[in-house]
Amino acid sequence: MAGCTLRPHGQHPHLFRLPAAGRFAWGRGVQAAAATFLMEQHEPRTPALALASGPCVYVYKNLRPYFKFSLPQLPPNPLEQDLWNQAKEDRIDPLTLKEMLEGIREKAEVPLSVQSLRFLQLELSEMEAFVNQHKSKSIRRQTVITTMTTLKKNLADEDAVSCLVLGTENKELLVLDPEAFTVLAKISLPSVPVFLEVSGQFDVEFRLAAACRNGNIYMLRRDSKRPKYCIELSAQPVGLVRVHKVLVVGSNQDSLHGFTHKGKRLWAVQMPAAILTMNLLEQRSRGLQAVMAGLANGEVRIYRDKALLSIIRTPDAVTSLCFGRYGREDHTLIMTTRGGGLIIKILKRTAVFVEGGGEAGPPPAQAMKLNMPRKTRLYVDQTLREREAGTAMHRSFQADLYLLRLRAARAYAQALESSLSPVSATAREPLKLHAVVQGLGPTFKLTLHLQNTSTARPILGLLVCFLYNEGLYALPRAFFKVPLLVPGLSYPLETFVESLSDKGISDIIKVLVLREGQSAPLLSAHINMPVSEGLAAA
Amino acid sequence: MAEQRLAMRTQFPASAESIKPRLKKAPEFPILEKQNWLIHLHYIRKDYEACKDVIKEQLQETQGLCEYAIYVQALIFRLEGNIQESLELFQTCAVLSPQSADNLKQVARSLFLLGKHKAATEVYNEAAKLNQKDWEICHNLGVCYIYLKQLDKAQDQLHNALHLNRHDLTYIMLGKIHLLEGDLDKAIEIYKKAVEFSPENTELLTTLGLLYLQLGIYQKAFEHLGNALTYDPTNYKAILAAGSMMQTHGDFDVALTKYRIVACAVPESPPLWNNIGMCFFGKKKYVAAISCLKRANYLAPFDWKILYNLGLVHLTMQQYASAFHFLSAAINFQPKMGELYMLLAVALTNLEDTENARRAYTEAVRLDKCNPLVNLNYAVLLYNQGEERGALAQYQEMEKKVNLLKDSSSLEFDPEMVEMAQKLGAALQVGEALVWTKPVKDPKSKQRTTSTSKAASFQQPLGSNQALGQAMSSAAAYRKLPSGVGGTSQLTKPASLPVEPEPTVEAQPTEASAQIREK
Repeated sequence: MAGCTLRPHGQHPHLFRLPAAGRFAWGRGVQAAAATFLMEQHEPRTPALALASGPCVYVYKNLRPYFKFSLPQLPPNPLEQDLWNQAKEDRIDPLTLKEMLEGIREKAEVPLSVQSLRFLQLELSEMEAFVNQHKSKSIRRQTVITTMTTLKKNLADEDAVSCLVLGTENKELLVLDPEAFTVLAKISLPSVPVFLEVSGQFDVEFRLAAACRNGNIYMLRRDSKRPKYCIELSAQPVGLVRVHKVLVVGSNQDSLHGFTHKGKRLWAVQMPAAILTMNLLEQRSRGLQAVMAGLANGEVRIYRDKALLSIIRTPDAVTSLCFGRYGREDHTLIMTTRGGGLIIKILKRTAVFVEGGGEAGPPPAQAMKLNMPRKTRLYVDQTLREREAGTAMHRSFQADLYLLRLRAARAYAQALESSLSPVSATAREPLKLHAVVQGLGPTFKLTLHLQNTSTARPILGLLVCFLYNEGLYALPRAFFKVPLLVPGLSYPLETFVESLSDKGISDIIKVLVLREGQSAPLLSAHINMPVSEGLAAA
Repeated sequence: MAEQRLAMRTQFPASAESIKPRLKKAPEFPILEKQNWLIHLHYIRKDYEACKDVIKEQLQETQGLCEYAIYVQALIFRLEGNIQESLELFQTCAVLSPQSADNLKQVARSLFLLGKHKAATEVYNEAAKLNQKDWEICHNLGVCYIYLKQLDKAQDQLHNALHLNRHDLTYIMLGKIHLLEGDLDKAIEIYKKAVEFSPENTELLTTLGLLYLQLGIYQKAFEHLGNALTYDPTNYKAILAAGSMMQTHGDFDVALTKYRIVACAVPESPPLWNNIGMCFFGKKKYVAAISCLKRANYLAPFDWKILYNLGLVHLTMQQYASAFHFLSAAINFQPKMGELYMLLAVALTNLEDTENARRAYTEAVRLDKCNPLVNLNYAVLLYNQGEERGALAQYQEMEKKVNLLKDSSSLEFDPEMVEMAQKLGAALQVGEALVWTKPVKDPKSKQRTTSTSKAASFQQPLGSNQALGQAMSSAAAYRKLPSGVGGTSQLTKPASLPVEPEPTVEAQPTEASAQIREK
């Protein structure tokens, strides 16, 4: 299989397990990246397998551990180093140390080591012990590998020697020599690389695209020390594949974008679900290069530029894809799924990918019938009647409307006159009343909410009186005093109502709010009592 | 098992080499960033549960020192809607590494989402000091200023953002500012540049199309809407707008097919059912039109344009009593439109309430500035009442408007209106045909449909297709009117029911052809 990268899933860290070697003798841990590459020209040309984990790359050859490369230590902050040296010689007390370290953290370009950071978190009492325990150690800063890929050294052949390209957490790219494992080149990036895509040869000319955690993709060339072009995606990239000269980027907003190698946007395609992984499909015999994208809805879509070539449906969401030679078969697709499954598909040798297999032409919704509201026969009859007698209808309607308005106005005036409304508008006693009836019967709970709506003045000396049919209902107290009403608060006044009738009839209970010494009510409410449903129980 | 493995993992890399010489020493510190890549991978794959597990594990191992884990946790909180929590975590991140503009940006973003725009701008300004070449900071500052109603500052920031790096979103916001300021031309300029920059963005294309439509530049509008539909054949806004233009051209069947797509995607859209209703109206399927319009009215009971159309259709159906109700409801919502009063007057005339009809006409004439139909209909009513002088005055008013329109706009007069006016002119014994000779000889004499639709769309908030949909239908409505006139006036034979609609239907194709010729 030509250089491929498999990304393990969290729950299955040992996804890449060597078949014959059984367990790894070393190199335990979650592998951030894996790659195969040729290390040297000698025959037999067995490829080596590189696994990146933490700060190390473990190289296997002939299914045996072969070499372990560790990332060089990062230079510590000289000021910090100095401080710890002082601590070692007990020339500085823990508190001053803490202050100085904090000062460095605030301003320094080089971040502090873990040791110092941990120290800064400690309580006063623990500091002394911590310093004594750790002061003799030299402080170290170690970074880890986030991604890895391969780059041909000096020949473009398929079986040429390749270098490993590592992306690290401290925003750097390293190119390793395939034989000596020395660092050939170091490039710094503005952010942490997540995906790499390299083409060309290291000694001649190469183009490198690095998708980073800040959502940008930086493009580099052999002689550029800094990124030459930058694509700002305004979303997180989830995959990076180069197809001929087009860089295809999957974003976490469910879309694929095509860019030129100078970062100009060419096209975009919307996916039906989130993209989980992407890789290149290359069918050399037909000169086809396409992008495969594994989606969260369990589809694997294959695109050539914007055109959808094929959809493979899988039982589970595919989290990594690899297309290439497997055994004797040139065109094999290997997929791993979210649940931990492995799917291997072999492409028919006669198969040809054709464009337009997907959705073309008008969307299917266009062929659907409109959901029209139907009209009834009655409606048509009414229409005809209106045509014949429209004028009369209009006139009687207008007359009735006037009557209605008149009646409403009269009723309103009457309500105002006799304080029948639940809101009292008099200047002295602005009150609001509403009532709630709870229960199924025969006993109901009647709650009156009385509110003084004036801004400042409390109201004193109010009475509440219930008027009801005594044959139907019984109330413990039909007449009681209201406590002082503080402005703005709503006072719930509760009382029980017993329904006496067993005939399932209900009646109105009138509530009157009165002022002491006045016979005309301030306001009143009519409560429509519900029918008692608890007759049997009673 | 998993935990064992974990424990081994934490110790492995460093301790394997160094544990022997210093056995008594304290254990090595774990590398803080060891699992950042895994957290990130889960995060971009939207596997948030797995992501949270790794974050928890990582934070336990590092005793809360892993900044990136906290950062992603905060991002997830924000996605889940816990903005306050996310804000606190981002602030923790900002403490852990105070030099990072990214953390400040996220703090500001959370503040922005909490509606604290002022505080957000302060934090963004702080972040801008750390990183001056970030378009995102400029863009977001601009957006904050829009919310703070400081449009000038917002414009500056957005232009800065464009200068640093061009993004569709920035163009959209900048366009919105110009629209807020009511400057259509500038907005169009911005959107034009935006479309040049990203020619496949359907939102940009649609908005630009709608703006052109508002300005009455139909060809360009159609071009952009068409482009939008090529890239996304199910774009709701673009379909409605393009459909309404097709309706203006009388392509009712094509428009209806397009509306089917929308009906599938957004079945409860009032403008959609309004437009469908007016399609059926154009096809003379009045019952279908009424049921669709009634659905639209049910969905948006306060939309006066739907009520207007309902009134119009009922007038055509000679259901004058119903028409009266819809029109008076429409007038309650939109009391400033002359045409509405005129339609109401037509309904009242047919309900034999001449007195109120006359009042409505007076109001219509007072409000309307350019529609000769209003005066013509009023004149007919006055003439029928035997008030030839009043009729003559209205007739002359109409002549003025017609002369004005002939110069300014580009459409033909409705032949039915011309005929009616000529008859009235003859009856009033005015200098007959003086006004109309030109239009008759020169079929390109212009009418003012464009301006109607413009006026109608003006009241609409920008970008909503309602504007178009209804602009169109009111334009169609306008052309329908003469039939109502024909019915009212007893100059011709007392109108028999089926005769009426026909001339109008003829009217539409002529209009359409006129517009096509323009292109």
